[in-house]
Amino acid sequence: MNTTYYRLELRRIFRDRTTLFFTLALPAFLFFIMGATPDYAGDEVRDGNVAMWIMIAMAAYGAVTATTSIGGSSALERMQGWSRQLGLTPLRDHEFVLVKAAVAMTLAGAAVASVYTVGAISGAEAPLPVWLISAVLLVLGAGTFSFYGLNFGLAFRSEAAVSAAAGSLVVLSFLGNIFIPLNGWQLTLAKFTPLYGYVALARRPLTGGATLDPDSGDLVHEPLWQVLANLGFWTLALGGLAVMLVARGRQRQ
Amino acid sequence: MTTTIQLRGLQKRFGNDANVRPAVDGIDLDIRSGEVVALLGPNGAGKTTTLDMILGFTAPTAGHVEVLGGSPTQAIRDGRVAAVLQTGGLLRDLRVRETVELIASTYRIHPPADDVMARAGIDGIGDQQVQSCSGGEQQRLRFALALLADPELLILDEPTTGMDVGARQEFWQAMHAEADGGRTIVFATHYLEEAEHFAQRTVLLARGRVVADGPTERIRSHVGGRTVRATLPESSPSTAVDDLRSLDDVTDLRIHGSRVDIVTADSDRIARLLLDAGAHDLEIEAASLEHAFLALTTDTDQPIGA
Repeated sequence: MNTTYYRLELRRIFRDRTTLFFTLALPAFLFFIMGATPDYAGDEVRDGNVAMWIMIAMAAYGAVTATTSIGGSSALERMQGWSRQLGLTPLRDHEFVLVKAAVAMTLAGAAVASVYTVGAISGAEAPLPVWLISAVLLVLGAGTFSFYGLNFGLAFRSEAAVSAAAGSLVVLSFLGNIFIPLNGWQLTLAKFTPLYGYVALARRPLTGGATLDPDSGDLVHEPLWQVLANLGFWTLALGGLAVMLVARGRQRQ
Repeated sequence: MTTTIQLRGLQKRFGNDANVRPAVDGIDLDIRSGEVVALLGPNGAGKTTTLDMILGFTAPTAGHVEVLGGSPTQAIRDGRVAAVLQTGGLLRDLRVRETVELIASTYRIHPPADDVMARAGIDGIGDQQVQSCSGGEQQRLRFALALLADPELLILDEPTTGMDVGARQEFWQAMHAEADGGRTIVFATHYLEEAEHFAQRTVLLARGRVVADGPTERIRSHVGGRTVRATLPESSPSTAVDDLRSLDDVTDLRIHGSRVDIVTADSDRIARLLLDAGAHDLEIEAASLEHAFLALTTDTDQPIGA
């Protein structure tokens, strides 16, 4: 990989305080408010606790915010002629994608690390493998949402659209069972929304596939295929749309 | 001399409407190694589209492009071609030096960043963010990026757009140094004076076709004739000119107060006649490329296919 490009990209991100705030600081703060302070934070979930369950959710929100904003800004760069500048160099398209993917993963990793650090010192508990496996799933799964940001950028061609994409993640997080635990028909609906499969998969090392029904307090088992089907469908749908939009952009040139 | 660029029957049509004139409508062109060539034409003449095909950004609808004996993409991958593009193309939140380092990292071998920055005249602003650079500074940065390829062929699309007069002069000075180093340079411009001052050869484009191609000097003299200007004698201003009006060699004669402008194919003779008649403050001027341009492009102004 072109490490100079990767290093300079990271330097650009760390210059952009808005992105840093929304990806690193805000999710950690949200966890602190919603996950560390309430009375039920210490309640058990299998070998861990509810604070851990909420921490994974907030880290998921931070990670997808990271990859969405990298995806969106990549689309804008393309349109502002940077891809023409790169087109004049020996750099191949796949090398560019590799650099951007590495940058997105790095920022997603930083977002997860930020929330996990706050979690570790403020009450989230689970066996070590749960911490590690959930973190890896969060970072890898967040890749799907770089397509989400990319699509907004490619389709609407403005910085406002990319900000809107990042903002819309708040809504998707509510719909995806991230910010508050859903039940009944809301939970049924949630299973079809883009963030649901992603966060459910990351929580699985903790829950073992059980979801909490807040009304009855019972644990309900959810089959793994439902979670994977959700994540798989949205990865294909968002990725396929990105391929279509890139092809459309090429034709227009 | 070897051929650097070869275009054969090059055509580019946007969209599928057969009634719309192609942006590039059958261009044949050979550019040899070491030439400095101006592609001159008004907006919409097909300059940028032609350059895009030479750079491999756009595939021709018909015809053939060969750059340095191969495909445009191969020439770029080998770092043998570089270009300064018209607009966009820079990341605003990078610093100038970082931008140079980033593009440099895509080449296996490249001149030192300090070296290209000095040659492009941006060695003093390396720590400045691109977004706070003036249009001229950004253009010189693009030029520095082009030099990283150490290219045999340098392509410039309207390179001085957005520069003030001083910046423009500095830019062309830097470019002269590159041309003296033996690079082939092809630039698109609609500034006639840039072609006059910098290009040995000018290719005139209009409506996607080559309407004239030759040494810049000859393109300019193509319209034949020079303008002779003089101040008429106060005693008998009109009689001095009346005789001239009827001469065959005079294509145009205008009087503004005491000054007269005469467009003629035989400037020596007209000058002599004017001086004999008592005129003074005589000036003789070759027709500008602008005149040549108008004369040549208006010929093709009939609707195509009518």
